Amino acid sequence: MRVYESEVPGVGRKFELELTGERSVVVVVHHDGRCELFRRDGSDADGEKILDLKGEQANRLGSILEGAYFESVDVDSLSVPLGDAIIEWVEVVPDSPVAGKTLGDSRVRTETGTSIIAIQRGEETISNPAPETALEPGDLLVAVGTREEQAELDALVEPE
Amino acid sequence: MAAETSLLEVGVMFAAIGAVGLLAARLDLSPIPFYILAGIGLNEFVLGAAGLPAVSASEFVGIGAELGIVFLLFFLGLEFNLERLLADKERIGRAGVIDLVVNFGVGLALGVYLFGDPLPALLLAGVVYISSSAIITKSLLDLGWIANPESSPLLGTLVFEDLVVAVYLAVVVALVSGGGDVWSAARAIGVAFAFIAFLLVLVAAGTTLFERLLDTPSTEYFILRAVGVTVLLAGAALAVGVSEAVAAFFVGMAFSSTEYVHDLETALSSIRDVFAAVFFFWIGVVTDPFVVVEATGVILLLVVVTAPTKLLSGFLGGRTYDLDDRRSLRVGLAMVTRGEFSLIIAAVALSAAGGTLAPETARTIYAAAVGYVLVMSALGTTLMGASGWFERFVTV
Repeated sequence: MRVYESEVPGVGRKFELELTGERSVVVVVHHDGRCELFRRDGSDADGEKILDLKGEQANRLGSILEGAYFESVDVDSLSVPLGDAIIEWVEVVPDSPVAGKTLGDSRVRTETGTSIIAIQRGEETISNPAPETALEPGDLLVAVGTREEQAELDALVEPE
Repeated sequence: MAAETSLLEVGVMFAAIGAVGLLAARLDLSPIPFYILAGIGLNEFVLGAAGLPAVSASEFVGIGAELGIVFLLFFLGLEFNLERLLADKERIGRAGVIDLVVNFGVGLALGVYLFGDPLPALLLAGVVYISSSAIITKSLLDLGWIANPESSPLLGTLVFEDLVVAVYLAVVVALVSGGGDVWSAARAIGVAFAFIAFLLVLVAAGTTLFERLLDTPSTEYFILRAVGVTVLLAGAALAVGVSEAVAAFFVGMAFSSTEYVHDLETALSSIRDVFAAVFFFWIGVVTDPFVVVEATGVILLLVVVTAPTKLLSGFLGGRTYDLDDRRSLRVGLAMVTRGEFSLIIAAVALSAAGGTLAPETARTIYAAAVGYVLVMSALGTTLMGASGWFERFVTV
């Protein structure tokens, strides 16, 4: 993976980074910090502009790409219409203890306190599932509950 | 013009520059021809002829224009990358020599045909040889070609041209300001090269000196010192008959090896923008549009001959970089654009009027060059924008 660097008089610097195959990405860094990103899909292809960033934005994007950027979102300060409840998605993996049981038998409600408001099964969505709805492997359970309750649900659905 | 109205005149000038700049931005075109046209529209030959108060070629506008030349060339030197030129000297050299031989040669031939004299021919050759770094670079960015292989031969050739023009201006200004005979011309060239040698020594040995000079935390002092050194050396050069543009170029080069390049670019670019616009405006102010109209035949001849020559030399330059026909064609289309340097040479021609050049000849060269740049700056940008249409002819 090679990087070619060259000077653009009066503008700034240009970097070309080789990607897989013949593709490459070209970055033009202006003196004032502005960054333009182009992709080239082959040695014969023309550059296609993907992004035009201000200096600040370019630095931020760069640190995300570098893996150095991390700013956790403070969930407690997020205002959600559900009070302190949040919505989470949990997948029922094939060897999950609840796979094959009905929603009632899985005791999700009584054990964890979360409510399953919908089940995403392939293309279809079962909203407001009844207690006799069977949970199949691959189902995505959409649950409402506090963070503690969600953690308990995760523990219940996870294979032992 | 009475002195008390001169501030108003300067105000009118800057307002006009600002207004046409806005128009150029709206139309998404290079502002250079607009500045020139604003100058023409407000000068004594147009507005004055209509019996209205015109903007005169006052001392302020003239000196402002000279400062514009100085800062344009200072930046050229500042951003001139000798390492890059040397690192890629084989390819840049080949493309640059093709460009020089074809276009300068054709320009000389045209000059001899039109004026029958070596000095006017030399001036005309310079006007048609040098492409516009400013406009071409901007178009490269606007069209996104900067990300493509065709940007290498283009930028390389432009760097080569910059160096040639520094030497060319030194010689031509010496010839123009010298006497008419061979001896005084030789003496003038000798002085010019002695001064350049002095500047080169300054560039080589002066890095630490310049670093110390610019070592200040205050932006104010920083700008003033940089401007002070640049304008003083450029003015000194002019006083001994050496091109102020060349002096500014080498001062810029001296600063380019310091660690302050980036700070200088940031601090001085606004000064350059202001005075460069004044220079283009001044070009228009001293242009008599009726002389340009009289020179229409000459302008047409230059356009018809030297648009294809750049197309050819640019294409060949692209081929030396092993580009395919389509990309080589783009190099040729881009190189057609002429601009700021042709106008600097035109100003040199004008300064020789009544001296080493017959007034008539100087005026014709000047007017033709202005008309030529107005056409070529627009034509080059248009050709680049329409390159897709031309590329059909070379792609199989």
